[in-house]
Amino acid sequence: MSSLNSSSSIMANKSLNCLEIEQHEETISDSFICCVCLDLLYKPIVLECGHVSCFWCVHNSMDAIHESHCPICRHPYHHFPTICEMMHFLLSKMYPLAYKRREKQILEEETVKNCFSPQLDCKELKSSNGSIPSHDSNMLSGQASSSCITRVDKDSSNMDSNCSASIKERDLPAIERVSSSGVLCPACEQLLYRPAVLNCGHVYCEACIVVPEDGIIICKVCDYPHPSDCPNVCLELNNFLEEQFPIKYSARRKSVEEKQARFQHKNPSSCSISKKSTKKGFITPYRGSEEFIPWWSEHGSKVHAGAGCDYCGMYPIVGDRYRCQDCVELIGFDLCGDCYNTQSKRPGRFNQQHTADHRFELVKQPDFLRNIMLRLVGGNLVDSSGAPVLAVNAIEDPPDGWIAVESVDDLENIHNNVAAADETVGDILHDDSDTQDGSIEVEFSDALEFSDNNVTSLSHHDHNNMDQDGNDDPPF
Amino acid sequence: MMMNSGSSSGGGGSSGGGRTSWPSTTSPSGKRIQKELKELDSHPPPLSSAGPIADSLNHWLATFLGPPGTPYEGGIFFLDILFPNEYPFKPPKVMFKTRIYHCNVDSSGNVNLDILKDGWSPALTISKVLLAIRSIFLNPDPYNALVPPIAHLYQVDRKRHDELAAAWTHRFAK
Repeated sequence: MSSLNSSSSIMANKSLNCLEIEQHEETISDSFICCVCLDLLYKPIVLECGHVSCFWCVHNSMDAIHESHCPICRHPYHHFPTICEMMHFLLSKMYPLAYKRREKQILEEETVKNCFSPQLDCKELKSSNGSIPSHDSNMLSGQASSSCITRVDKDSSNMDSNCSASIKERDLPAIERVSSSGVLCPACEQLLYRPAVLNCGHVYCEACIVVPEDGIIICKVCDYPHPSDCPNVCLELNNFLEEQFPIKYSARRKSVEEKQARFQHKNPSSCSISKKSTKKGFITPYRGSEEFIPWWSEHGSKVHAGAGCDYCGMYPIVGDRYRCQDCVELIGFDLCGDCYNTQSKRPGRFNQQHTADHRFELVKQPDFLRNIMLRLVGGNLVDSSGAPVLAVNAIEDPPDGWIAVESVDDLENIHNNVAAADETVGDILHDDSDTQDGSIEVEFSDALEFSDNNVTSLSHHDHNNMDQDGNDDPPF
Repeated sequence: MMMNSGSSSGGGGSSGGGRTSWPSTTSPSGKRIQKELKELDSHPPPLSSAGPIADSLNHWLATFLGPPGTPYEGGIFFLDILFPNEYPFKPPKVMFKTRIYHCNVDSSGNVNLDILKDGWSPALTISKVLLAIRSIFLNPDPYNALVPPIAHLYQVDRKRHDELAAAWTHRFAK
């Protein structure tokens, strides 16, 4: 039991240290703690299912090869959403100190990775509110990009006056720092009621999101098509609004309920229309419930592992992939086939300095990945029959750098070398000519064996054994 | 990771708590592990505890008291927890250090838990993993067994299984 005590004393010390940093900060409501990093949400992203996480937490938890799942409810999704700017500014006003710390911390991490999250402009807030948040003393330091530097310079004149303002703000409770003007629905221009967030990061009342006949929701603010079904209500935001603006919120509830009642009375059949519409024009990503192998055999060869579309957020890209040849950022700039064809002008998702005159190239699906997957998929299929399906595939379409590619030519060269090096095994050549008439798999195994550096040390006896083994028992 | 090991030694060795803050360059996984440690301290899961061993924040030791009413009652079980650098995007590795007669734990200490493999989600924490392990103490899952003979005995002759488990607990975990 002594170990129990010692470990708990270590814990106590550690937690003290953590507390010391954060004791000066605001107490953060549990609703705004990211479930992945367990810290205050920073640059929040709202997933289709309504759950919220930080930008990097969502990006890092996405699956590079298949469809991703919400960390909380495992709801499948395939498009990396954009940061919800409304929540971003809300949080930076509610918790200026904690948000500032998070900003600094993430910037440090981003500098190490040399990959930056998108910079959010404060213009929106200035115009809507008049006051500039302390957050404005900008997010990115010089390393990020030249355009950022100019902005920092421009804003630095405001910074000093902000500082004093933010100190005064600190004494106020969070509730007084947030006004309802920042949380309006762009469609009905009233306080958000049951807010839902589209993939582009814009927040609407659930009732204001209209699903058109073709099933593709278009954001009214940015004209960007929402790539999946109607999003769920973001309950964290909903609860927050209900607490912050109880009177306005209950008024909104009443009016929306009345409207719905009237609508249903007039048109009773409409309530049965399901919000879940089917999508057209998008290649269906892998759904967890489906069988993976049939899905892979259909779409697998079109998956670009680890590459995401910078316009619609599809990750990984399924189908055609275009890569920008002129973007210098480490993360690069990619588009899926659909977005490449629509010539959209949206900014990149990682603060890339992409411009319209950059050139694109079509990226071919890397062979090695497909072959690895074929191997895995093939392995499953082979088990029952025992026939080496994979070997045939591999030789029909040989990938680069695999030894099987050069099997026949090299094999003969190696044999010649062996014969020349060791004359006592002169009849190897004869044996080999027999085996070469045999199955491909044997050649493959020979090639692997001979690629070893100690080719010349093989004795005649060993070689014969190997051939017999190869014939009896194919290496796959 | 070097940053982690340097700073956490302050907690174990010089227990004065003179250190004012963690270095701000700690990796994201290190920060998350610190958060979990703090949370575990304030809300420890029932009958268990966990914390880092010596210098590394990435290597924890967890202790489990065998739940009363099970054949593991009275035993103290030690588990090794290793956090990968990609934590929490990759699951932690959990190994039993104490021998246990259980159909879901093999002789080298591997645990057969879905949430430690494909079922992992970055929203899960060590405290939830400990709860899941506690649940297999209470209800072994013979349908996903690592040791089929134990699973078979569990289904066929529960009494004999419990006797053996209690004997092993007495022999290895006390």
